[in-house]
Amino acid sequence: MDGQLGYLFAGFAVFWAGLFVYLLLLQARIRSLTREVDRLEGRLADTDAPTPQRGSPPR
Amino acid sequence: MRTVRRLYGLRWVLLPPLTGVGVLAMLAGAVVAAPTELVEGDVQRLMYIHVPSAQAMYLAFGAVFVASVMVLWKRDMRWDAVARGAASVGVMFTGFALVTGSLWGKPTWGVYWQWDARLTSTLVLFLVYSAYLLARAVSDPSDEQAARYSAVYAIVGFLDVPLIVMSVRWWRTLHPQPIVSRLDPQLPGSMLVVLGISTLAIFLLALWLIVLRTDAERLGQRLLGLRAAVDRREEA
Repeated sequence: MDGQLGYLFAGFAVFWAGLFVYLLLLQARIRSLTREVDRLEGRLADTDAPTPQRGSPPR
Repeated sequence: MRTVRRLYGLRWVLLPPLTGVGVLAMLAGAVVAAPTELVEGDVQRLMYIHVPSAQAMYLAFGAVFVASVMVLWKRDMRWDAVARGAASVGVMFTGFALVTGSLWGKPTWGVYWQWDARLTSTLVLFLVYSAYLLARAVSDPSDEQAARYSAVYAIVGFLDVPLIVMSVRWWRTLHPQPIVSRLDPQLPGSMLVVLGISTLAIFLLALWLIVLRTDAERLGQRLLGLRAAVDRREEA
């Protein structure tokens, strides 16, 4: 019976540990993609902004 | 279509709490509420993750099949993101079904593995979609031609699913004949209820993971578009 419980425990452990690792990796990927998207959108917005002309008064 | 869009918009509100409640109910059912099987003993409780994992595998690869058909039909790369997201989740649940099945098989059948029709066809499915993910990982996510070739591969690969389902009827295997998907299920009522709850919980979990993974794939596509826009802007 003890041996059987070992198989049961191993099965549940593989399932939940695998799921946990998958979620962690997915969360890290989504976070890094979001950060990179935000950075590039900011860069695009910066280049869209009108560049100050020479001689214009400083604000 | 509008209802589907509205539900998709509510995915962050609906899916995580529903999945959480489902998974807690599944755990309580599988570990505490379900009766111990007289012949196999406690190890039979692995059924409550093994069978739903296999069902989630069908769900995920079914989503890959539908999304791949849509890639070919609509030529819309958003469906490619769905196909890749669902394939990743499908491969994970196939892995769970194979490993938990082996761990259940050893004390019950005396072996971890047997090259019978169901086990072999499930392993083939795992390898087919692992190769799909590998091919997609090395190709450009915005490459439409790669998406179309992958869609054809994924559709052909899905032919293995009906083979897995029918394998226990067509060939002699270690797996029993269907005991639940029939008019008179050959399982005690209490076990059947827990198995139903577990299947529902893992379906919700698989659906949530597919949604998360699809969001990640779409973010990746958006990132490529932004990089191209920044490059164009800086060259100009």
